[in-house]
Amino acid sequence: MNIERFLENSVTSWMAGEGEHADIVMSTRIRLARNLTGYRFPLSFSENEALQVDQEVSAVLLDAESELESTFSYIDIKELSALNRQVLVEKHLISPKLANSEIAGSVLLSDDEAVSVMVNEEDHIRIQCIFPGLQLHEAWRQANHIDDVLEKELPYAFDEQFGYLTSCPTNTGTGLRASVMMHLPALTMTNQMNRIVTAITRLGMVVRGIYGEGSEALANVYQVSNQTTLGKSEEDILSDLQSITEQIIQKERESRTALLHTRPNVLEDRLYRSLGVLTYARLLSTEEAGRCLSNVRLGIDLGLIKGVDVSILNECMIFMQPGFLQKYAGTSLKPEERDVFRAKLFRERLQVDTNLDNEGEETHDV
Amino acid sequence: MICENCKQRPAKVTVTQVHNGAQVQRHYCDVCAQEFHPYHLDFQQDALSLHQLLSNWFGSTETKQPQEKTQPELNTCSYCGWTFQQFLNQGKFGCAECYESFHGQLPEVFKKLHNGNVKHIGKAPGSFGQTLQLKKQIESIRTEMRTAIEIENFEEAARLRDEARALEEQLQSGGENRK
Repeated sequence: MNIERFLENSVTSWMAGEGEHADIVMSTRIRLARNLTGYRFPLSFSENEALQVDQEVSAVLLDAESELESTFSYIDIKELSALNRQVLVEKHLISPKLANSEIAGSVLLSDDEAVSVMVNEEDHIRIQCIFPGLQLHEAWRQANHIDDVLEKELPYAFDEQFGYLTSCPTNTGTGLRASVMMHLPALTMTNQMNRIVTAITRLGMVVRGIYGEGSEALANVYQVSNQTTLGKSEEDILSDLQSITEQIIQKERESRTALLHTRPNVLEDRLYRSLGVLTYARLLSTEEAGRCLSNVRLGIDLGLIKGVDVSILNECMIFMQPGFLQKYAGTSLKPEERDVFRAKLFRERLQVDTNLDNEGEETHDV
Repeated sequence: MICENCKQRPAKVTVTQVHNGAQVQRHYCDVCAQEFHPYHLDFQQDALSLHQLLSNWFGSTETKQPQEKTQPELNTCSYCGWTFQQFLNQGKFGCAECYESFHGQLPEVFKKLHNGNVKHIGKAPGSFGQTLQLKKQIESIRTEMRTAIEIENFEEAARLRDEARALEEQLQSGGENRK
C-alpha cells in the first residue's frame, strides 16, 4: 500500500503527538470496568447470557446518540478477520483477551477512535478513553460521561462496601485504571529507571515497559498506572497519578539537559546514527527499530534533528507491529520477511517528512 | 511452531524442564534461547500471576481441602456455584454474588491487593439511591468537622455539626423509619 494512504487510514487520534507534555507523554488512557446484575461474569457465563449482555449494552450506546459527543459503531469481534482483530489490538482499541475470545463479544468504537467500549471482555463492560499527551482529567471526564449514560439504563453490579463489582479483585471499587504512556530515554540512559520503579511501587502505582518482552522496555516507552482501586476516590487516583507523572517528566527533562551538556558530540552522534539506520537500513528487527526510534525522537525533542515530525515515535511504534506491517505489505508476512517490510516502512515514513532528493535511489525498492 | 517467548520467530530450540517430577517442554527460537537461561527463568507468561499470589497467600489447594469437606455450603456461591477455593485458584470472581457469598473472607484478600484498603470511596451509580449519597455527604462533613476541631476552629466545627445533624434527619425521614 502507498505510504500516504496507509498513514491516512491507520493513524488514530491518540497518536497525534498533541496535548500537554506531548514531548514526553505519548498518551493517556482511562479504563472503567463495569458489570450488570443478573448475569454471571464472562469467565463463567453461558453463550446465551453473553448474547443478552452484548445486545443490552450495545442497544443503550447506539440509542443514546444525542447524549454522546460522538457516534459509535458496533463491531462484532467474531465477524472480524484475525488480521483486523490484531490491528485493533495494536492500536490499543481492544485487548488481546477480547480479540481471542470464544464468546459473543463486541467493541463499540467512537468515530474518532478516542473511545472504545468493550463488551464481554473480562467484565461485561470496559469503557476506555485514549487521549494524546497528558490529559488525565479530560479522559476521565469523557469515560465518566459514557458511564453515566450507561448506568441510567443498565442495572450495575454495585455494593456499598466494595463499590463496583468486577471479575478481578484488583479492579474492585472504582474499577478505574488510569495510565500514562511515557517516553523516558534520558532516565533510561542514565540508569535511573530502577530507582524510580521501586519508589513508585510504594505509592500504589505501577511502572512497566509496555512493548516487548524481558526487562528492557522497548523504545524506552513506559506505562505508569494506578494499582489500587479501593479506598481512594477517582479524583484522588487521578491527582496522585498526575503528580507522579509530572515529577517523572521533570526528572526526565533534567536528565535530558544534563546529557546534552556533558557530552553533546557523543549524544548528537548517537542520535544521528539512529536516524541513519532508520533512513537507510534494509532489515530492521523490532528491538533495533525501537532503539533507533527512541533516539530519533529524543533528537527531535532536543532540537538536534530537524525536519522529522514528532508523531514519528507514536505512529511507528504501532505500525512496526506484525498486524500493521501485514496491512502495509498487503499480504501475510513470515517473521523474517517482517524485518524487510519494517525497514521499508521506516524509509518511506521518513521520506514523507524530509522529502530527501534521493528519489533515484528509492525507486530501486519494490 | 513459533517461539513461546517472542511469539514471532520460528521455534528451533526445545528445552525440557523437570518440575516437581513432571516434564515440561518449551520451544524457543535461537535468539530467545540465547538471551535467557532456561534453568534459571521460567518463561511461562503468567509466571507470577494473580491467582498464584492469592493461592500462596491464602493457602494452597491441598491444605484447604480438608476444611472444605467439613463445611462445603459455606464456601460456595449460590448463584454461579464457584467455591472460595476456585476464586483463589482463578484469581477471579465467577459473578457479582460471589462478593456476598465470600463476604467474610474478602477483607483479607482486598487488604493484600489494595494497600490495606477494604472499603470503596468514590463514584456510585445514581440509581443506587440518594441514601448512599446522603451517608457519604454526612461522612465527609464529619471528617471536615474533626479537622476543624483539630485546628481549634470551633465555630466552623459547630456549623458543620449542625449541617451533619440536618442531613441525618433528612436521612431518617427519607428512610424506612418515618414516624
